[in-house]
Amino acid sequence: MILRYELKKVLSKKLNRIILIGTLLAAAALSMFAVGGVSYVDREGTVHAGPASTRRLAADRSRWAGELTEDKIAQAVNSRKEIRNRYPYDIPNEEYGKTIQAYNDITDFAIDVLTPDEGWDERVLYQLEDGQAEDLYSIYEANQQKMAKEYGRTPEQRQFLEEQYSKIELPLTYAPMDSWDTILVYVETYGMILAIVVGFLAAGVFAEEFRSRADAVFFSSKYGRTKAAKSKVAAGLLIATIVYWTGMGILLLISLGIMGVSGFDTLYQIEHPYSIYVMTYGQYCLLAVLGGYIANLLAASVTMLIAAKLRSASVAVCVPFFLFCVMQFIGRALSNFLTFFKLTPDMLVNVLGCAKSINIFQIGDYVFRQIPCVMMIYFVTAVILLPFVYRSYHCYGLKKKGI
Amino acid sequence: MELELKNVSKEFKGVHAVSDVSVSMRKGVYGLLGVNGAGKTTLMRMLCTLIRPTSGEITWEGKNILEMGAAYRDVLGYLPQDFGYYPDLSISDYMMYIASIKGIRPMAARKRTKQLLGQVGMAKYEKRKMKTLSGGMARRIGIAQAMLNNPKILVLDEPTAGLDPNERIRFRNLISELSDDRLVLLSTHIVSDVEFIANQIMLMKNGELFYEGTTEELISSMDESVWHCTVPKNKANDFMARYLVGNVKTAPKGAELRILSKEPPMEGAVREEATLEDAFLLYFGEKAGDIDDTEI
Repeated sequence: MILRYELKKVLSKKLNRIILIGTLLAAAALSMFAVGGVSYVDREGTVHAGPASTRRLAADRSRWAGELTEDKIAQAVNSRKEIRNRYPYDIPNEEYGKTIQAYNDITDFAIDVLTPDEGWDERVLYQLEDGQAEDLYSIYEANQQKMAKEYGRTPEQRQFLEEQYSKIELPLTYAPMDSWDTILVYVETYGMILAIVVGFLAAGVFAEEFRSRADAVFFSSKYGRTKAAKSKVAAGLLIATIVYWTGMGILLLISLGIMGVSGFDTLYQIEHPYSIYVMTYGQYCLLAVLGGYIANLLAASVTMLIAAKLRSASVAVCVPFFLFCVMQFIGRALSNFLTFFKLTPDMLVNVLGCAKSINIFQIGDYVFRQIPCVMMIYFVTAVILLPFVYRSYHCYGLKKKGI
Repeated sequence: MELELKNVSKEFKGVHAVSDVSVSMRKGVYGLLGVNGAGKTTLMRMLCTLIRPTSGEITWEGKNILEMGAAYRDVLGYLPQDFGYYPDLSISDYMMYIASIKGIRPMAARKRTKQLLGQVGMAKYEKRKMKTLSGGMARRIGIAQAMLNNPKILVLDEPTAGLDPNERIRFRNLISELSDDRLVLLSTHIVSDVEFIANQIMLMKNGELFYEGTTEELISSMDESVWHCTVPKNKANDFMARYLVGNVKTAPKGAELRILSKEPPMEGAVREEATLEDAFLLYFGEKAGDIDDTEI
């Protein structure tokens, strides 16, 4: 019953209700942005954007779906080279719609394979000699070894990287994945928005007693320092969970419902061949969603603790914004502390950024990757903070020892 | 049923808010009188386990209340001076929430809420939001929440502060009704709040509890008499400087004064019966509350 009324206290506030409705509307709005962000070029060269374009694009690209054999890659590369010869400066939209659009992901994959750790350079495709495209997977495997040597600073790290790359099963299997590729960006942005909202709501759970001067009655009640304090912690976590999964659920449901789920099983290596996270697009999306959830739990824990300690929500509500937004800019500005900023909480809402780069850490013989490390650190932090949140209420006003 | 304070002191950054208070309280209404800043609220907050005494011990039935924790708070009802509530909750939701943190089961809580809201005359407003209540209405809800767990100890800190005279009388009667079979500790700086309902009066000044007894004992302990006299208006200030003066009333023949003095302050002064307010004036050296307060 206490928990129910704790939630009611939060939801009875007009500002909180407005924020919640706004947050859910933002999910719908972002879904629309995601859906509208994919464009499709038809055979006449007309560019289409809107709800149907992702599905039409997927249908077009499905011609190339299936096992991505070297022959298939060579076919796409040769076609691209031939078109380039025909149109050396600017490829007309009609041609793009008729041919290139369908295999663009495959030629992009070839470019990425040929330019490991270098900037994107389309010219490498045209510089391929006859027969080289048929041998792309050999080049890919050789480059994987090079990457392992380059990024592995110790034998353990090198072995670790080689092990990760060995998990990539060749030939890759391709299916159009534009819906996932698009939604991933919005998942992270929305996860960050939700963390700020959750922080605001959770801070209120612990600051409300002081703000409304109801603390004296609360703490002099039988369960004010025990069950009621626990219920407040539970309410904060429940708010984080319900708000996050409802909001994220709406975003995913609308976006994927309209764009489709083609590419769920496509390996992320199609887009980033040297990523050390061997997962499909669907798994990546789930990972980004999980990262966002941990960020939300962390936001709830931290803001509850600060609000309970300072007896005010004013500072607490700013903390998630600092952790997940400002920290990103600080990290970029202070490049001397790059290793530190690879493990900051903003990485939880930047899983895609983490997945693109090779960031590994080593303690003793144990080598680990950035994403699981960041997720583990902040999940544990969020959990560890909870007893402190409880304790700050449990011992309120009684410095020597709790009662 | 015994609540005992043993040499209780509380210090805030070197300032003694409460100094070495020892008192034992049993069933009945205890009126804690003192001017603002006397340390009444600090004492009450210690009794309600909101703050820890710097030294000394408070026991309930012989056990330290801080060690008892939830078991002690289970028998406690508290209406703080600065009664705060959750403005966006309705009255019934507020009562149900407080009932839940007092460990009352939902069915019983509903029944008790209904009964108490009826008792404080707020039953018809139960759906109203707390933020829409007047000061008097909020105080009534305050006493209702304090009574939810049918406490053995009811602590009321300045319960009539900010109420108009009618509300104050109503509130006093309500407290009197609720005082059956429990210990009620009522702090106030308004003498009339406790004059008729308190069995015991405790006087507090500068953090010290310096007197405890019944109203009659307190009045009879006064070593000065109360005199009524009429003085020329231009002499009123002289009298006020020389004596402890209670009421001053302007009359056609001059100023009517109520003076505390061992000897008659002037020829023709009429001796009157002392009241608790006179005792307050004597011990605190100032008039209790404002004019409205003393007239109730």
